[in-house]
Order: sequence, then structure tokens, then C-alpha cells
Amino acid sequence: MKKETMKRFWMMSPFLATLGLFWIIPLILGLLISFTDWDYISPNFNWVGLYNYRDIVTDPDFTGALVNTVVFGVGTILPTIALGLGFAILFKNKFKGSRLYQMAIFSPWITPAVAVALVWSWIYEPDRGYGNFLLEFLGLEPIGWLHSSDTAMLGIIIFTVWKSVGWTMLFYIGALERVPVSAYEAATLDGCNAWQRFYHITLPLISPTTYFLMIINLIQTIQVYDQIQIMTQGGPGGSTTTLLYLYYEKAFQNFQMGSANAVAVVILVIILGLSVLSTRVSQRFVHYE
Amino acid sequence: MNQRQPKIVSALKHLLLMGFSFVFLFPFIWMFLGIFKTNNEIWQQPYKLLPENYPVREALEAAVNLGFENYILNSFIVGILGTLLMLVVVTLFTYALVFVRGRYSEALFYLVLGTYMLPSAVTYVPSYIILANMNLLDTLTGLILSNLPNVFAVFYLRQSFKKTSIEYIEAAKIDGASHRRILWHVVLPLNKSALYTVFVLTFVQQYNNYMWPSIMINSQEKYLISQGLRQFFIQDGAYGMNWSEVMLASTIAIVPVVIVFLLGQKWFITGITEDSGLK
Repeated sequence: MKKETMKRFWMMSPFLATLGLFWIIPLILGLLISFTDWDYISPNFNWVGLYNYRDIVTDPDFTGALVNTVVFGVGTILPTIALGLGFAILFKNKFKGSRLYQMAIFSPWITPAVAVALVWSWIYEPDRGYGNFLLEFLGLEPIGWLHSSDTAMLGIIIFTVWKSVGWTMLFYIGALERVPVSAYEAATLDGCNAWQRFYHITLPLISPTTYFLMIINLIQTIQVYDQIQIMTQGGPGGSTTTLLYLYYEKAFQNFQMGSANAVAVVILVIILGLSVLSTRVSQRFVHYE
Repeated sequence: MNQRQPKIVSALKHLLLMGFSFVFLFPFIWMFLGIFKTNNEIWQQPYKLLPENYPVREALEAAVNLGFENYILNSFIVGILGTLLMLVVVTLFTYALVFVRGRYSEALFYLVLGTYMLPSAVTYVPSYIILANMNLLDTLTGLILSNLPNVFAVFYLRQSFKKTSIEYIEAAKIDGASHRRILWHVVLPLNKSALYTVFVLTFVQQYNNYMWPSIMINSQEKYLISQGLRQFFIQDGAYGMNWSEVMLASTIAIVPVVIVFLLGQKWFITGITEDSGLK
């Protein structure tokens, strides 16, 4: 028995060692740094208690970033889930060519954000870009896209949904395939139409996947950095500065390590809070077999 | 439910999906064709999808002159070596978690899964300091090492390992097989598709990785492709940009990862849609 324990320990130790070194210790250190005024350059620092937290909550940059993060999160996650499910429904029952279409929709996910953001900056060009060309074609007013603080976030959201919806779609395709055919047959016999079958059978039976994807997308969305750094650098006028981008600016441009880590802790608390909340909600709405 | 769909519905579905595929692929198509366009052609209205000429030879010469080989090589080193090493570490851990169960195995798994709920970006400052203390800042080794604790891989492999029939394992144990033999000859072959899936996923993420490498790597000869590409754009400035060169550089950055994806897609897409049974 003891021998097995030793073996288990050896097999687990490489992973646990790196997890400790690059996850658990950094988390604790980050929390500690958030109570200091450390500037990275000097070896000395002072404990300042909750000063950084009090400082950021009264800072309009922080509250702005918080609002931007919420707008970006909701604006990205809801369309991603809805479109991902919509595409997955189109792919129900494998048919000739379905794999090719799936790859087309998934392809943005695999490509580096830096590379594709450049083409998108052409699409978003206000004077001669393709986006405004389409808007005018549809009889709408052209907009400033990334050059205007009113629409820059919209531009980042569209890009992010384009890039990540394929991932969500793949998980939904799997979930839809696992819905037992018998459930649909029974419902059809009971006289349910397609919409009723979707609402009363499909949605409840795939709800564990929806819950999983909500959480995954939440974590990924809150960490979005690449496209913001490349397309807008948080601007114009801070309109695309999310909490993570603010963290990056504070830590690696201004070297306000204490303040930066206070922002990190706030991000953590938000994610934990939302995870707990969605678990609560899921207990009411998610159906496990 | 298996009745054949009427032809008209099927045709409409194909039409719709072709439209969507075009929308999703359009930026890539534009990028690729942009290689052969002059700046005037790129900005002219009404748009023309196809370029006037195809100066393939010039494009190839320009591709060689970009000097991206080094960035691509670095991205491959981190993407392939880093991912293989990660798979070794994670497979050992997950094997012990699932097949060498102890009293605390379940609790340990939830603890590890809990860290997945946390955004890794918030650990960047302390991780940076830790790497600096280990003298691993600005090294690919440091980058690979800090990417090893991949909790998603644990989560994904555990789902797959748990479906491995326990009888095989028990039979092998009765035959006196060591853990190494069971892992190598029973568990790994039976979980091939999950391992491939995790490999391709992680490779893509490592290859494209931008934020963390650009924080911890400073020397240009160690840049990954995203960083190198970014540097290239900054040099030219937004206005002096030679768009055909930009399109060429972007295409070159994308091609390797697309090839790996196409090679692995058979495993990959089926892997995600079939093994990801969430309970």
C-alpha cells in the first residue's frame, strides 16, 4: 500500500511542482504584492494595506475598464454561444461536405491574432475599408470603427466572435449528437413541432454543455489581450481598455506592481463570483441525466 | 428522425453554409490575394478580389527576405517540444489521478480544476519575478517550463482516461505489469484520439502565443512568430506600410499552423465533438 503511495507521488510530482511554481505561488505572491507599493525597479517596498484597492476604486480609469470588460464580456459571450449553437444545429446529421464547412468556420480560431488583426484593420478602415463599404451597401451610415471611441469596442467584439465561435460550435456539435433520437421521436409522436422539440428537449439536454461553454468563454474573454494590443492599444480614449489590459499597462509599462496586482485580484474575484453564481443558476436550469 | 431531408432544404442549407464559410474565410482570402496587389489595388473602390498580375517570383523573393525563419523555428520549438513535454508531465499526473487512486485523488482533481477557473494572466507579474530568480527570463526554456502546468489538458485527458475499460487495467495488473507498461501499452493506445486532440490544441496555442512571450522575452532572436510579426509592423509605421508585404508576412505566419491543423484535423474535430462528453 505504501509503495503505491510513493509511486503515485512520483508520477504526480512533476506536474504538481510546475503547477505550484507557476500558478499557486504566483497567486499568493500576487495577492501579497497587491498590498505593497512596489515599483519593480527598487528592491525596497512598503506595506500599504488596502491603499491600492481604495485607490483603484476611485480611479476613473479602473471603473471605465470595469465597464468595458462587462460590455466586452456580455457582447462577446452571448453572440458566441448563440451563433455557435446555431451553426451546430445546421451541422446536425452529418452530410456530405459538413467537415469542410466546419473547418472554414473554425479556421479563425487556429490563426495567430496578430496576423489576422492586420487584415481586419483594413476592413475597419473608416474611409475605404470593407466594413463601411458593406454598411453603405446595406444603406446604413458608415461608422468610425476603431477610430471612434463609440464603435471601437464593437470592432473588437466582432473580431473576437469571428475568431472564437468555431470552438464553441465544435462543443455544441458533440452535445447535439449525444441527444438520444428516442427523445425526439417521442416528442414528435406527442405532436410537438420543431420549435417545441428544440425548446423542450434539445435545450434542456444540452444545458451542461451550455454551462461549461459559458464558464470557458467567460475565462477566455476576460483574458483577451492580443487583438486589443494590436488593433487599438486600449484606445481611443480608453474605450477598449479592459481590466486585463489595464493590468498589463500598470504592471509592464508603468511598473506600478502593487496597483496592477490589485487589479488582478479584482479580476480573480469577479471570475470566482461569476463562476459561483452560474453554478447556482445551473443547479436550477442545467439537467444532468 | 433519419428521414432524408427534401432536396430543396438540403440545397438551402448548403447555400447558407457556403455563405457563412465565405464570411469566415474572407479575411484569409483577401490576405492571400493581397500578396500580389499594389497599395493602389488594395485601396481602390470598387473592390476587386483578384489582383491584376501574379508576381509569384517577386513574392517568393520577398518571403525569403523577411527573415521569419527564426521566429517560425522558435514557435515550432515551443509548440512541439513544449507540448510534448507538457503531455508527458500531464499524462503521468492524470494516469496517477485516475488509475492509482488514493483517498485524496478526487479532492486533488477538483483543486487542480479550480485553478483552471482562474485567468492565468493574473499570475504574470509573480511568474516573471520567479523566472527572473531562476535566471530563465528571456529564454525559450523558461517559456516552455512556465507552460507545463496545463490544467485544460488534465481535464480533457481525465475525461478520456475514465472511459478506458477498467478490466484491461485490472487484467494487466494481475499479469504483473508495471505502471509503466500499463501506461505505455494499454492506456496510451486506447486514448490516442484524446492525446492527439490535446496536442494539436496546445500546439496551436503555443505557436500563436503572444502576451506572455512578449512580456518575458526581449531578445529579437528568441521571438515567437506573433512577436516577430508585430515587430515587423511597428518598424514600418502605420502609414509607410507596404500592404503586399504585410499580407505576405501574415500569410507566412499562418501557413505553418494551418498545415499542422490540416494534418491533425481528422483527429482533432472528431476528438472535440466525440470525446468531450461532459457529465
